[in-house]
Amino acid sequence: MDIFANLAHGFAVALSPINLLMCLIGALVGTLVGVLPGIGTIATVAMLLPITFGLPPVGALIMLAGIYYGAQYGGSTTSILVNIPGEATSVVTAIDGHQMAKQGRAGPALAIAAIGSFFAGCVATVLIALLGAPLTKLALAFGPAEYFSLMVLGLIFAVVLAKGSVLKAIAMIVFGLLLSMVGSDIETGASRMAFNIPELADGLGFATVAMGVFGFAEIIRNLDAGAEMNRDLVQQKITGLMPTRKDLKDSTPAILRGTVLGSILGILPGGGAVIASFAAYTLEKKLAKDPKRFGRGAIEGVAAPESANNAAAQTSFIPLLTLGIPPNAVMALMVGAMTIHGIVPGPQVMQKQPDLVWGMIASMWIGNLMLIIINLPLVGIWVRLLRVPYRLMFPSIVIFCAIGIYSVNNAPVDVILAGVFGLVGYWLIKHDFEPAPLLLGMVLGPLMEENLRRALLISRGDWSVFLTRPLSAVLLAIAASLLLLTVLPALRSKRDEVFTESEN
Amino acid sequence: MADTMGHSATATRNTSVALGFCLLAIAPQIFEFIWSIGTIFGWGAGRGPAAVVMAHATALFAGAPGALIGAASGDTKKASSEVLLALIYSYPLFAVAIVTLFMTIRSAQDYVGGVILMALALFALWASSDLQGMRGFSFGAGTAPRMFGGLLVALSAGIALTGLLSDGPAMAHYAWRGPLFVMAAILFFALSIRSLGLVVTAFASFMIAATGSNETRWLEAAIVGACLTIGCAILFPYVLGLPMPMFPRFLIQ
Repeated sequence: MDIFANLAHGFAVALSPINLLMCLIGALVGTLVGVLPGIGTIATVAMLLPITFGLPPVGALIMLAGIYYGAQYGGSTTSILVNIPGEATSVVTAIDGHQMAKQGRAGPALAIAAIGSFFAGCVATVLIALLGAPLTKLALAFGPAEYFSLMVLGLIFAVVLAKGSVLKAIAMIVFGLLLSMVGSDIETGASRMAFNIPELADGLGFATVAMGVFGFAEIIRNLDAGAEMNRDLVQQKITGLMPTRKDLKDSTPAILRGTVLGSILGILPGGGAVIASFAAYTLEKKLAKDPKRFGRGAIEGVAAPESANNAAAQTSFIPLLTLGIPPNAVMALMVGAMTIHGIVPGPQVMQKQPDLVWGMIASMWIGNLMLIIINLPLVGIWVRLLRVPYRLMFPSIVIFCAIGIYSVNNAPVDVILAGVFGLVGYWLIKHDFEPAPLLLGMVLGPLMEENLRRALLISRGDWSVFLTRPLSAVLLAIAASLLLLTVLPALRSKRDEVFTESEN
Repeated sequence: MADTMGHSATATRNTSVALGFCLLAIAPQIFEFIWSIGTIFGWGAGRGPAAVVMAHATALFAGAPGALIGAASGDTKKASSEVLLALIYSYPLFAVAIVTLFMTIRSAQDYVGGVILMALALFALWASSDLQGMRGFSFGAGTAPRMFGGLLVALSAGIALTGLLSDGPAMAHYAWRGPLFVMAAILFFALSIRSLGLVVTAFASFMIAATGSNETRWLEAAIVGACLTIGCAILFPYVLGLPMPMFPRFLIQ
């Protein structure tokens, strides 16, 4: 019954006026970001990190979490109405959602997306509350060897779930690990690869790199895509939000399946919301009696991915809160937000900061409720925002990002570094390298190195320690078999199939 | 006829790719040279341009081969950082450039991407070459960077190889206008925020960034830029409480 007591405590925290306000701001900003193409969740969270300095830690994290799941919401709105996915997570929603809108059924599509998201959000909230405590106990049994193996597993997951070539994804992770080693060595204090630049002595800021690779690089890329994107706005008024009984009957199983799939994929490191929505769509298409309906306005094609991405966005907090390991780039930024406020993520957070953990969990449920209430009536306003031309939006984003990075440390060098990483990110895009594994590698790098060194020190230099400790051996075995499976041709074609969905 | 045409086309492309790699191989040296020009005007401390050129030229043409021969004959004298740069970074890339001349590149996107990534890895290996290695059981500062650097060299070589062995997309088109002006805006912001203050810097950077698109209408951009500047000038220092210089220093004094 601990769970209920904990949740009750969480709601007490989350319902305080200041936290409610933070939750609302987070949800609104998230929706805005989700609606506007060309600016992603990662860049936004990175941009808003410095803003949270002045806030109490609980409020700050509630707001940042709100941005993350709010963006999943907003992305679906534009996908359905204008066929422009504002977020990578809602790319598949556009396939069937926009078809429905063209048939004059935009209302039901939006409603089902919202209901599915809300349901998934509720389930995920309960799941976090349920899994939190036992996983924390497990985490206490983890030594450095197990932590290292767990992170290897996480990085391998990131490879398996990444788009495109496996080799390239691994290379990106290792590149990220290398970048994470710039700066002072944790144990000896020796300056590594810093070239006597004082600003590099503390290492490359994670927010700086994230802003460069996901913010600036994205802008530059959009600029050379050139001319205004083709926006066939759905002009007619949206009438009749209510889905019919048949819609509800069709979409209920899809929502359930999407929620389950999304919850699982969210917990797995490296996955997160993007893969969840793709996988849920593919699953629905496989299970459907008449797969031909997909792509022509099947309501399941909206319900499943929307529930899946919302569930995944929320369950990805589980590894962060219990093990202290961020499973994706947004969670990595949450680590940054926590450290700004002097909180070290890990198993001890649950005990030492119950306000923070349970308050955040409860706020997710409240946030989801807010989103469903706010968003459906406000759809018109969000769509109007899309008419803001990109030629005015991109300089504004550049300036906002620049001020944001500058204010983290009041260091102009950080701004230049972010610019350099913007160019690096542009180069990565041009050569079809995925930037997400790079960021994950960069975040896990210091943790990994520290645990590797500690494990080897304890075992007196014996590398076999990773295989003789049972838990660590199991984790490594899973990682190895996953990697093997991915390289096998049969599974590979399946994996490619999941991602080609968006192109046709 | 068609055959020879095709052949000559790939040949010219390969030479340009190889030349590009050669340039990449001495890019750090060139960068240090450009950087050292600043010392003439008294910016920064360090060697002058002439000293830089001399040091790197001797390292590239005499020091490194000498060190190679020395290593072969069992002489373990400590090499200077320039010689190490030539040995670890430049020579392998020159080798790759020469190999490129004789290869058919089937996917330029993978091949060039792999080689550039390899250059980054080699550079990291060089940058961590002065750090301490293993001491008994415990890792030195340099162990992990060298480990992952080596791994990245191997992986990027693998990527470059797939570019030679399997068909794939050619090089993507790089635009210059967007990157140039966005970078210029970022640089301008970084260099002038301290002395010119938020108001001037934000507006000027906005206009520079706006130049990056050929769809920009100037009046419209100026109005939006002004509004954004006012918004930021209120939001960041007052609402969020982040201290920031607002106006140019010479105006305040």
